Amino acid sequence: MMEAKERIAKELLGIVGEDGLVVDPGELRVYETDGLTVFKAMPEIVVLPRSAEQVAAVVKVCHREKIPFVARGAGTGLSGGALPVEGGVLIGMNRMNQILEIDYENQRAVVEPGMVNVWLTNALAPQGYYYSPDPASQTACSIGGNVAENSGGPRTPKYGVTTNHVLGLEVVLPNGETIKFGGKTLDPLGYDLTGVFVGSEGTFGIATKVTVRIMRKPEAVKTLMGVFDSIEDASNAVSGIVARGIIPVAIEMMDNNAIQAVEKGVAAGYPTDAVAVLLAEVDGPKDEVEALVDPIIEVFKENHVGEVRIAKDEDERLLLWKGRKAAFAAMGQISPEYYVQDSVIPRTKLPAIMKYIGELSEKYGLRVANVFHAGDGNLHPLVLYDSRNEGELQKAEQMGAEIIKACVDVGGSLTGEHGIGLEKRDFMPLMYNDDDLEAMRKVKKIFDPEGRLNPGKIFPTSKPGVQVGPAGQREMLDKVHGRT
Amino acid sequence: MLSEAALSQRLSDLVGREHVVAGLEASPYAVDGKAPLAVVLPGSVEEVSATLAFASAEGLKVIPWGSGTKMAFGGIPERVDLVLVLSRLNRGVDHEPADMTATFQAGTLLKEAQAVLGRNGQFIALDPPYADRATLGGILATNSSGPRRLRYGASRDLVIAIRVVHANGIATKGGAKVVKNVTGYDMNKLYIGSLGTLAIIVEATFRLHPLPAVEKSYLAAFESVDVARKAVARILDSPLVPFAVELLNPEASHRVAEQAGPPWPKGRYGLAIAIGSVRPEAVDAQLETVRRLCREAGSPEGHLLDGQAHETFWLATRDFALGDGLQAVLKASVLLTKVAEAIRLGEEIAAKQCLALGVVSEAGSGIIRFYLAGDAASPERFQQAVAEAVSRLRAFAQEAEGSLVILKAPIEVKTRVDVWGLPAKALPFMQRPKLEFDPQRILNPGRFVGGT
Repeated sequence: MMEAKERIAKELLGIVGEDGLVVDPGELRVYETDGLTVFKAMPEIVVLPRSAEQVAAVVKVCHREKIPFVARGAGTGLSGGALPVEGGVLIGMNRMNQILEIDYENQRAVVEPGMVNVWLTNALAPQGYYYSPDPASQTACSIGGNVAENSGGPRTPKYGVTTNHVLGLEVVLPNGETIKFGGKTLDPLGYDLTGVFVGSEGTFGIATKVTVRIMRKPEAVKTLMGVFDSIEDASNAVSGIVARGIIPVAIEMMDNNAIQAVEKGVAAGYPTDAVAVLLAEVDGPKDEVEALVDPIIEVFKENHVGEVRIAKDEDERLLLWKGRKAAFAAMGQISPEYYVQDSVIPRTKLPAIMKYIGELSEKYGLRVANVFHAGDGNLHPLVLYDSRNEGELQKAEQMGAEIIKACVDVGGSLTGEHGIGLEKRDFMPLMYNDDDLEAMRKVKKIFDPEGRLNPGKIFPTSKPGVQVGPAGQREMLDKVHGRT
Repeated sequence: MLSEAALSQRLSDLVGREHVVAGLEASPYAVDGKAPLAVVLPGSVEEVSATLAFASAEGLKVIPWGSGTKMAFGGIPERVDLVLVLSRLNRGVDHEPADMTATFQAGTLLKEAQAVLGRNGQFIALDPPYADRATLGGILATNSSGPRRLRYGASRDLVIAIRVVHANGIATKGGAKVVKNVTGYDMNKLYIGSLGTLAIIVEATFRLHPLPAVEKSYLAAFESVDVARKAVARILDSPLVPFAVELLNPEASHRVAEQAGPPWPKGRYGLAIAIGSVRPEAVDAQLETVRRLCREAGSPEGHLLDGQAHETFWLATRDFALGDGLQAVLKASVLLTKVAEAIRLGEEIAAKQCLALGVVSEAGSGIIRFYLAGDAASPERFQQAVAEAVSRLRAFAQEAEGSLVILKAPIEVKTRVDVWGLPAKALPFMQRPKLEFDPQRILNPGRFVGGT
């Protein structure tokens, strides 16, 4: 075994060079977890390729040696999707971080997967263009990770998620073969394999080039904040805006716990006594945007808004957004730890689900901060806990599981943008029956017939009755690795 | 093989005698000249399942059929045993206006869906050809789209959940009835545009959009396609948000404008820009900018299309057809910067081959439809001319990082030249979905890329 490892490490070293290989246990520790830190697994070897050719060469070695492997972008994922396989190879993509081409006339850019999301928009800004999907982690997360997770962000009600903006991919398949799907032009021939690949959570192949749509910046943007005395009023205001035929770029909601955290953290100027605030943003041609402000205010008023603020300039607008964008990070101000869920519900179920989450909070004796994409019904309840208190993590997970089940019961989805990963794989049967899952397994086989890439993710493994959620998963991992 | 009578009997047992058509009466359902042994019209998802399970067991090849508007699309089928018509699956399944989502069975006409949704000021933002007759399932299976895709995207951007029946009769779902979802793989994308070769779509859930309260268009006349394309570039690089940017050659402009009302100057290219908004004043302001940009680009004259004229113009554009004679329709997808050149090449080929040519291009999306017509008296000549046009335009489109497919052509053209033109090196992987999902090749064999 050791001999094989040395031989393989030597071969990988020949591919990626000395500075591209990590085998030192101390350094490997950096890669043992992603953004969901309750899961940990030590990879045997980490490689950091600099080119698509190197990725292909590394994958060919893994294929030949039948070693499981996992690709990792910036490691900001929140469902354990980039968790390494113990004894396997982890391929870190962050050194492939170049913008390869910007083609304004054709409204496309071609980038490497390790490029940080916001870099593209920064590069495009001088020409008045941008890349739309902007997950909260956009200053850290990589575009390759966005492709894997089909990442969203606040702007999705109007402009959609990653899959709506990715038009082509160069992919290294799990056998080391390099293949192209789609490209700069629309309606590529054959099956929409670009569309199928996006959101496959790193289980189909490793993207080495990504062709994306870039868009002209809107002429005008208006951001409004409404302060509400009840979650129900705020929820109804969301539906009311949409009912007027307005599709805002974003409608975000924060409840009092979230506001408290944000104000302690970054002082964005939200009223700390508010039960809920809504942030609504509209963009487009100047005349249209101007015309949309009054109807939104009317809807706010119909729903008993206390105070309305309209950002007067870009600074004020950024300040309003600063609180929202910093919300997750600010949770540390009010709780040592949090466990976030990502379920989606039909918008009309918002008041009922928010009430139910409140009830669960009482039942479990755990506070919840809600900060989420109300416009598309994508909840982010942050269950606040302290793992130093015996059993509190387990309670938080149990509560998270109840929230998920309630969301699916009203016709929703397990996850809107964070992915299934390892964390939610055993919830899959709540939404999909065996036949549905079998169809998905067939797609996996199209790309990875031997199941060597990112194994153990997405598909349910446990028998009914086994505890789901990170604690249960961790137990299972421990068993697999003989740690119990 | 079952006898015709036995086949009819078995199918009748599954869906009822009145929903099975066999023998001579089945001949109108011929695909590329191949008549089916029987036509079956199941009335429920369960009956679709039963029919496909039966077909699989008997090794019968099945051609799914919506309302038949696009049956000329695709390669010549290997064999046509059963035509499975989905027109009886035409119910709305659910619609929650406040959630802006709606689910319909696949045999529902787009027009009927829009009528229902329109009562709440909403619509499915698809405007494909034959929108008055096309079914939702057919639109999705063929990934059919229209001018509005510039603003709203195509089917892949609008479908959030799907229900299909596989070749073995098993029904499965993908996606969820919420507008944002990453649970499991995105199965919607796999089935959309797969021409019924992996499974038959029986139900789909759409994200809806609000109907714009006001829509108007500006139609500008240009002396050359290159100048018109420059205007397109200016418009796309402006803060304007048109929902359609359509470039038509003189022949197409003349025919479409004639229907919509405005007189059309001979030999001029038409560039139509459509703007919609919840607010009338926002539309007018944007159209004024459009008019200015077109004027600056070199088009002194243009027409504002409003109300009925606007509606008629866009209907005539989407359902464009040349008059009499033999017909073929090609669709190219190219880089935006190559649209003008592609149109010029099409004109050059048409002139050389003595073909009539109408060009309708979604110039803001890089999609170009070439409508070719030739003298019915010399079919051989027409076939050769179209095959030549396909080869040359395809070579150009591939250079322009795109593709060219035949949407419609006589069978003799399809035997001369590949309908799809998928490069050989892309073929092995592209065949894998079919091998996984329909290894028996029951569904639409031979009609999709590379004979899949």
